[in-house]
Amino acid sequence: MTLEFRGIAKSYGKTKALDRLDLTVEAGSFTVLCGPPKSGKSVLFRILVGLEAPDAGQILLAGRDIAKSPPAQRPVGYVPQNFALYPHLTVAQNMAYPLTLARFPRDEIAKRVDRTAGILSITHLLAKTPDQLSGGEKQRVAVARGLLKDAEIFVLDDPLVGLDYKLRERLMDELKGLREELRATFLYATSDSLEALSMAQVLAVIDHGRILQCAPPAEVYHNPAVARALDLIGFPHANLLPGKLGGGQLVAGPLRFAAEGSGDVVLGIRPEHVRLGPAGQPARVTLVENLGGEAVVYLDLDGQPLTAAMLLLDNDPPEIDAMVGVSIDPASVLLFDATTGARRDGLQKADAHG
Amino acid sequence: MTRLRATLYYGILWLISLCFFAPIGWIVLSSFKTQNEILAMPPKLLFSPTFDNYRALFANDGIFKQIANSVFLSLGAVIVAVVVSFLAAFCFSRFKPRGTDFLMFLLLSIRMLPGPAVILPVFLMYVAFGWKDSHLWLLLFYAMFSIPFSVWILKGFLDGVSTRYDETGLVNGGSWMHIIFKVVLPQVRPGLIAAFIFNLIFVWNEYLFNFIIGGVNTQNIPYALMVGTYSDGGLNWTFISAMTSIYMVLPIVFIFIFQKYLLVGMTFGTVRGEV
Repeated sequence: MTLEFRGIAKSYGKTKALDRLDLTVEAGSFTVLCGPPKSGKSVLFRILVGLEAPDAGQILLAGRDIAKSPPAQRPVGYVPQNFALYPHLTVAQNMAYPLTLARFPRDEIAKRVDRTAGILSITHLLAKTPDQLSGGEKQRVAVARGLLKDAEIFVLDDPLVGLDYKLRERLMDELKGLREELRATFLYATSDSLEALSMAQVLAVIDHGRILQCAPPAEVYHNPAVARALDLIGFPHANLLPGKLGGGQLVAGPLRFAAEGSGDVVLGIRPEHVRLGPAGQPARVTLVENLGGEAVVYLDLDGQPLTAAMLLLDNDPPEIDAMVGVSIDPASVLLFDATTGARRDGLQKADAHG
Repeated sequence: MTRLRATLYYGILWLISLCFFAPIGWIVLSSFKTQNEILAMPPKLLFSPTFDNYRALFANDGIFKQIANSVFLSLGAVIVAVVVSFLAAFCFSRFKPRGTDFLMFLLLSIRMLPGPAVILPVFLMYVAFGWKDSHLWLLLFYAMFSIPFSVWILKGFLDGVSTRYDETGLVNGGSWMHIIFKVVLPQVRPGLIAAFIFNLIFVWNEYLFNFIIGGVNTQNIPYALMVGTYSDGGLNWTFISAMTSIYMVLPIVFIFIFQKYLLVGMTFGTVRGEV
């Protein structure tokens, strides 16, 4: 069932939470909604499950508008951001809750609960009550309960937030497994762009209540539609440098590229495209984060901060305060309009003049 | 040294507790004594217990009706009050109508009226409507008096239950009835029990309204105590002690059963007891 949001608007007082948002979610896809906190992810999900009514717009599910249906009539399973496990029920009863409410036969409920518990490795917790669980365990139980609803769309609102790194990795794998098992449509929100990139089939970048771009993650990463999408997706964060086009060249601080066109632009450069070496534009190293296999190097390029990511194969990262040469392949530079942030044609040819 | 101090400390605690218990001990012991033993100076601690007082008490047919009235009026009024208050508090807590705080204040203001100040208008009203000496209308009067405080207690508890629980219920297809009774109610059980016991004690001990707007049919135990005290010309101590001992059974049983909920209840859920 294709899910389509059309012109969804929602305001709280003068704050626009959703600004005529449009988004199409293909049936059976795993769509990740990624944006900073307060960008409208949770509000959109709450509107989809029916906990809030939109001020305007339609939610089309297989062509039928469900924006005004009561939550009980929407085939949507929901894993809220907070676990909201019922303290008076056991883990098994909590998980069975959506099925019990839907009056499934008892043996069918037991079968489904057991299977889901197995996939999320919480079988040993079934008899416990929520207050006996750790944060990560609660989270898995909440995910299990949300996914046990007999629904066609599952909405997960940042279910991995606040978990430690190892547990996140594991839950991400388990979620991928569940998704194949259930063959349903998934909508998943996160503010962590790495999580989004690694899990998404389709990545929708949301900011200030609007979808900036909706495309496969590689497409969003390499070909961002707007400067803000480049800024939000990827870590370490991309470099955004102010520049000026004119007279056949592009000037950004000390950097010079041959280019056509005119006007103020923003240059978007991924850190991995900033090459460090003996040659190139001299820059001073201000900070080095050595991650073992790679290093993030923060540079001062004539007053312009610049981030570079380098692989550490048999080389060492530069020392702080050392001078290094910076070179940038013009083909990797993404150009955006300085006022609208919209993408412009990139630099096709030519080379960087130091 | 520290051991001695601890012993001393607990000794004092026990002594104070016993002081509080003394009147109860005295009245219960007295109920097994004769009139002369009760009034003996110095008090007799050793005596051969007699059940004559209880026999005399139950020889009077009216007493069963009075006990039954007390039980019916108290439990009935309190159950009505707790059900109504729970639903009202749920609405205040979840739907937050405009001016909730002021409405809550208005609700409680009835408890600021002293009973004797309103007893006359209430009496006239009950007579005019023909409600006097009726179990139902007396029960509803008690319920009305119990509701405001119960709403206050329960709203505190309901505010402590996150609306996320409601939302999970709604999303999974639960109706409002389901959410109120299956999702929220189990989580405010200490509050319900606290409200239940507070009001039970109030109605159980109520004398004035029973005397004025009740009647022959609705006499309760406090009424019986008041009237029976002077029945033989002097103070009828054997009657008072036996009647009082019976009278205390119900509240003691309830408080004993529910004592672990009471601390949480009386502190409006601010002290998190292990319940």
